[in-house]
Amino acid sequence: MSSTTASSGMGGFNKLLVTVGKSVGGVVGALYQSGRDAVDTVIRNILPFMAFISVLIGIILKTGLGDWLAHLITPLAGNLVGLLAISIFCAIPVLSPVLGPGAVIAQVVGTLLGLNFAKGDIAPQYALPALFAINPQVGCDFIPVGLALGEAEPETVEVGVPAVLISRLITGPLSVVIAWVASFGLYSSN
Amino acid sequence: MPFTHLVAGIVFAAGETVDKPTGFFGALATGAEWFIGLFNEGGGVFKSLVIGIVPTLIVLLTAVNALIRMIGPEKIDKLGEMAARPGIQWYPVRYLVLPVLSVFFLTNPMAYTMGRFLPERYKPAFYDSAVSYVHPITGIFPHANPGELFVYLGIAHGIQKLGLGLGDLAVRYLLVGMVVILLRGIITELITARMLAKRSTQEEAAA
Repeated sequence: MSSTTASSGMGGFNKLLVTVGKSVGGVVGALYQSGRDAVDTVIRNILPFMAFISVLIGIILKTGLGDWLAHLITPLAGNLVGLLAISIFCAIPVLSPVLGPGAVIAQVVGTLLGLNFAKGDIAPQYALPALFAINPQVGCDFIPVGLALGEAEPETVEVGVPAVLISRLITGPLSVVIAWVASFGLYSSN
Repeated sequence: MPFTHLVAGIVFAAGETVDKPTGFFGALATGAEWFIGLFNEGGGVFKSLVIGIVPTLIVLLTAVNALIRMIGPEKIDKLGEMAARPGIQWYPVRYLVLPVLSVFFLTNPMAYTMGRFLPERYKPAFYDSAVSYVHPITGIFPHANPGELFVYLGIAHGIQKLGLGLGDLAVRYLLVGMVVILLRGIITELITARMLAKRSTQEEAAA
């Protein structure tokens, strides 16, 4: 009798060990695999783009192209009207799919603006509206693929592409205004 | 003692200012220095980006990826079914909660697959809403779109150089992004509905 209780107690203990071992193994495995994914992402996606951006910035800073660009960009990016103009330009239905791919244009323009923020040419509170002004074209190149990923019918794609493009003409400038209002109190010196 | 001679030569050279090389080879040398300077400048930028951004990014990516792996991204499928319901109270679910969670858990571009739970007439608006969130989220959660970080990072890096904190900007970008995608979803849904109506009347007229 005592042997059976001992063995069932043993069995319970074993079960506990197995459960603990499994869950710890699961957590460690998930973390390890995530680390592998993270490093993979950095090497495949992030470092190449950093290299590209560095070449661009290096040339811009060294050649003095930056000062010339600053004269061009600052009057636009330093006030609401200019930012609205940028956002409307980027949202023009024919241009937005061209400007979209890989968000390369938005990333390069963002980096150029960053240089101007760093030099103090543009007041820092314009960072928030600028983030929206340079990006009303986001995903405009990808609408048919994105809709296909959502298992949309071809008829939906036919209507959806122009619908999104036209919507951006309204929501692009609108997002800049919202961001501009939301930027009150951001980095303000009193 | 050729070695001491060499050292003496270096000291001597350092004490005296050397004339700039002139003539054809001088021009070549200046050109070469300028050429290398371009890339030295770029190398400096690359170093600051890698040292300043990559270590934190790797740790953050690992933690968030592990979290998503443990929670299981399939949990948000139920939310997709809820978002398909008509009625005004489901707008925030369809164009705010669902896109935000899809982008967070499924990341770009798999987030758009959540559109499969929605009726056809909502799909373009949902795509518009979800795709518009893949940049605002990167301020705090870069795992969602690691290939396109510089929309935010480019500007943020400039702000950082001024010695200002980024927390305020990142949080505001995240929150304003939410307001924008909700509005974008609603407006695109209205436009889609009008275009579908126009299309069906045209088809009727043709028939």
